[in-house]
Amino acid sequence: MDGPALTIADEFDYPRIEGSYDEVYGREPQMREHWQHLLKGFKGLGAKGIMERHLKAERILRDDGATYNDGSSRHATTWQLDPVPVLLESEEWGGIESGLLERSELFNLVLKDLYGERELIRYGVIPPELVFGHVGFLRSCQGLFLPGEHQLILHACDMVRDEKGSMHVISDRTQAPSGAGYALENRTVMARVLPSLFRDSHVHRLSLFFQTLRLKLNHLASQITSELPRVVILTPGTLNETYFEHAYLANYLGYPLVQGSDLQVSNGYLWMKSLGELSRVDVVFRRIDDIFADPVELKSDSSLGVPGLLEVVRSGKVIVANPLGSGLMENPAFSRYMPEISNHFLGRALRLDSVKTYWCGDDSDLKYVLNNLESLVIKLNFNKPGFNSVFGSQLDSKQIDALKQSIKKSPMHFVAQEYIRPSTTPAWDNGRLMPRATVLRGFSVAAESSYRVMPGGLTRTGNEQRSLNLSNQQGAVSKDTWIIASEPEKQTSLRERKILSSSMPRIKQAGVAFPCRVVENLYWMGRYAERAEAALRVLRTVFVQFNSTYQMPDETRRLLLRTVTDVTTTYPGFTGDDPVMFAQPETELLAVILDETRYGSVSNNLNALLNCADQVRELLSADTLRVINDLQDELNALANALQSGLSAAPEEALDPLVTTLLALSGLGQESMIRGLGWRFLDMGRRVEKAFQAVNLLRSSLVPVLPESEQLRVFEMVLLSSERLITFRRRYHSENDVARGLELLLSDSSNPRSVFYQVELLRQHLAELPSASQGSGITEEDRHLLEASSTIQLCIFDDLVAENEHTGTRMVLDQLLGRLQFLLQESSSRISSKYFDHVKVHQQLVRTNWDEEL
Amino acid sequence: MIYRVRHLTHYIYEKPVTLCYNKAYLLLRNTAYQTCLGSTIDISPLESNGQRRSDYFGNQSYYFSLEEPHTELIVDVRSEVQVHESKYSAALDLFPDLDVSCNQALQLLKQSNDLSVINAREFVLDSPMIRASDSLREYAGSSFTCDRPLLTAVRELTHRIYDEFTYDPTSTSISTPLNEVLQKKRGVCQDFAHFAIGCLRSLGFPARYVSGYLETLPPPGQKKLEGSDASHAWFAVFVPGGGWFEFDPTNNSVPAEHHLTTAWGRDYGDVSPIKGVFFDGGDNQKLNVSVDVVRLEASSYQSSMGFTQRQSLSSG
Repeated sequence: MDGPALTIADEFDYPRIEGSYDEVYGREPQMREHWQHLLKGFKGLGAKGIMERHLKAERILRDDGATYNDGSSRHATTWQLDPVPVLLESEEWGGIESGLLERSELFNLVLKDLYGERELIRYGVIPPELVFGHVGFLRSCQGLFLPGEHQLILHACDMVRDEKGSMHVISDRTQAPSGAGYALENRTVMARVLPSLFRDSHVHRLSLFFQTLRLKLNHLASQITSELPRVVILTPGTLNETYFEHAYLANYLGYPLVQGSDLQVSNGYLWMKSLGELSRVDVVFRRIDDIFADPVELKSDSSLGVPGLLEVVRSGKVIVANPLGSGLMENPAFSRYMPEISNHFLGRALRLDSVKTYWCGDDSDLKYVLNNLESLVIKLNFNKPGFNSVFGSQLDSKQIDALKQSIKKSPMHFVAQEYIRPSTTPAWDNGRLMPRATVLRGFSVAAESSYRVMPGGLTRTGNEQRSLNLSNQQGAVSKDTWIIASEPEKQTSLRERKILSSSMPRIKQAGVAFPCRVVENLYWMGRYAERAEAALRVLRTVFVQFNSTYQMPDETRRLLLRTVTDVTTTYPGFTGDDPVMFAQPETELLAVILDETRYGSVSNNLNALLNCADQVRELLSADTLRVINDLQDELNALANALQSGLSAAPEEALDPLVTTLLALSGLGQESMIRGLGWRFLDMGRRVEKAFQAVNLLRSSLVPVLPESEQLRVFEMVLLSSERLITFRRRYHSENDVARGLELLLSDSSNPRSVFYQVELLRQHLAELPSASQGSGITEEDRHLLEASSTIQLCIFDDLVAENEHTGTRMVLDQLLGRLQFLLQESSSRISSKYFDHVKVHQQLVRTNWDEEL
Repeated sequence: MIYRVRHLTHYIYEKPVTLCYNKAYLLLRNTAYQTCLGSTIDISPLESNGQRRSDYFGNQSYYFSLEEPHTELIVDVRSEVQVHESKYSAALDLFPDLDVSCNQALQLLKQSNDLSVINAREFVLDSPMIRASDSLREYAGSSFTCDRPLLTAVRELTHRIYDEFTYDPTSTSISTPLNEVLQKKRGVCQDFAHFAIGCLRSLGFPARYVSGYLETLPPPGQKKLEGSDASHAWFAVFVPGGGWFEFDPTNNSVPAEHHLTTAWGRDYGDVSPIKGVFFDGGDNQKLNVSVDVVRLEASSYQSSMGFTQRQSLSSG
């Protein structure tokens, strides 16, 4: 694409900063060719168009649940993606790519050597203290090797470009590199919001990289099993900063996402606790750090790993990728010795330089560092939470002195790097293109004979002009990275398929099972959803009654309020006798809705529901994730709406939540595959629906009221159960409590009746995999069968009869009490039979010394 | 000299333990001075998985797991070990040929390309339970003057610890920090070994932790009580050109024929007799340990356990 430099105006007048390197201009006054097309395209969209695309991107990211938990709050924040990609043209990228590839090869050799012969130390290529003094050197991992040439399966490098335009590696990730999944998500979003620009730019695709990863993992598994390989992705859990990515990759690669407690070592093998059985695991693609992997031999109080894992690895019965112990290579001081290491292994100089690095464990380096702190970036030699790189230029003299003291105290722990002023790239900032400092994380994955580098990567830019530290924890913004082919990629997908099918033809993957934790969370997701809905419905109905002009007698008032407490189980609530509380119920009612610390409140149930959804995120459809997001929003909106109290039509404020919960329920019915996951989700719903119906009836209809009041309460019950209209249509007597009970308890055509729930539950139980085992009827089914028969055998006219001594409906009370018991029992049977109860291990010898040095 | 060692560990739990995973360092390793003739490990209830391995330091570890509910765990280890004559002579004349001074040792550590020296540098560094510190350096400094032979200095350090510190099992736990040991001047063999190692490392010398057994002799005229021996700990220091030399600060001695080596590492954490995790079992557990070290007459040695001497004479 020839042409004069873009004649641009206003907001697209991307400024060039003299003396620095910018991705758009390089060091020249004119825009580089491959950028012209893109920026023209952006100009075509106009500021408004870009804004729209940006918003759309944000919405997609949010809907996908793409989050990054920066640790500052309980809730993860939505992943930040700038709408302007970074462009690198093919030829230039080729140089970076071959440098990355070489670096991965070298790191692989180093890793193999350091847990094996330690030639590098023996021949004096690196000082022994570099390894022996590093907290990441795990002596219990000596001699643990993966089958095949490659130890390092996935490797990531952060790179910055200096003022002359050459790339330098500033850090490496070798144990559980993050970011590849975010890069993929960025790409997916960009292709959607800028489809034509993306298409016309001939961007190299990312999918081959992930296919290679998947093939590699399957291939590793095939080394230790002749059966279908089972690979799992091990995550530290939903609170991890990059949990989104773990779930995302699990889905993309088609592997179950597991937590440490989902796995167990038994009989010398590693197993996943699936529903009612253990299934073998061959490969663990882990996202937890080395030291957390096994409390028996590594960090003894870790609950993120699996006790005994290391011994299974040692005996070759399971493969962990990247191998345990590889965190050693994250020591930035290795960069200092990379030229010598390259010379030793390859007999040549490095293709891709590291930034000039000093290690304070070396006497002359230490001296240099102490004398030049102001111009250096200081890092620790291991990744310590809470410690960020220190920029010497930003310190005052007091801080410099303090830093000097710390360095002198334990010099081996400190590494210093020359500060490189990173190149800049345009970012969309408040309607303008502004230059931002840029760092690129590149990825490589072990393939058959060498490494394959992701064509692209994860670019991060400072969120303001002067940002020095470009990490996500520091609020950096990400960008998609486009490697521009000189011509359109030829039939990439076909070529991919060919390569993939020829390389490892026979390896398939075992059917994806999921851990029983996931099933349990689906079950509870169902229960919490129904619980929240029931609470909302009863509250809504009560509000309507209270807001009506009718002056309610005290007795009715008390009964309704007590019902709120009973249905939500927010005891003691209105079950006490405090007259003030009944006279001014507003505070308590607000708490029942909004107090998330209050067990049983609407907010508490919804939060519990959201937590469960987090745990099963990889199983939820995009639509479901969107509804889950809506729940979060509406909960926040409700808190705002009710800020000034209940006065302003509170029942309407509750409506959106009820609707969204119904949408969630509908999605479960309409779009979930009828597998075990769906079955348990629905079982949770059924159990809870039945429970709630029984609770409501017992609380509201057992006491006998004067006729007109009885009618009021009775209508409230019908309304809250969505059956008022049905009732009126079917029965012409308004106050026939017996018929009402029949409708709500035993009517098999009423999808809200207790009987309906019990029957569905029994059908579910019959379909569960372990149902056929053993003979006779199971305990849980026995309880449900009793519940079912009891309901069917009811004589409803007897149920409503008033006991003369108590003034209540005793027979009804007994029946409902029994039903509560039966439902409770069958639920706990189901839970103890199918779900694993996560236990926390104890240490045989309690150790509390600092294992991290 | 041949010894028979029996080490019995007995855990009693408050409630059944459903699962446990453990790693034990209870097997005697081979060293330049000792050869393990054979050993057995009996675990009750029977382990579902058990594996002997040689670890990073060349120690013998035993990994085992139990997957059936149990309220007691018994680990019964029996070994027979031969202590070689050579160890005695080294002990008796106190290394007269080796007069590497403290200064020379430090210089050689820095400059020597000898593999044993390079490897020994690992043991100068801090380890999880032993950190170098100024107070340790100050305490030990006076013994380590530049031109003094290193081993003489270490001998004096050992002597000082023996003289100034009181053996007191109630004063410390596994994780008492060294500065506290220095303050109280009380502890057990493990504290004294850690303390000496900390002193040496603070001055830049490589030192490692040695765990094992000490044969105790009954007072004259009395019969030895069963289970009266104990597991023991001491340390070794590295002299460039000379290798590793052991010292026992608890007994102010140079470990010789009464000391049997189980394992060595950077500190106790590398070689703790049994570590692991278990599930359930309640809040309390009881632990009983008994050790017997019995001397057999070499001339009349007939293995009661069916071991022969064929099993390796290699040294570690």
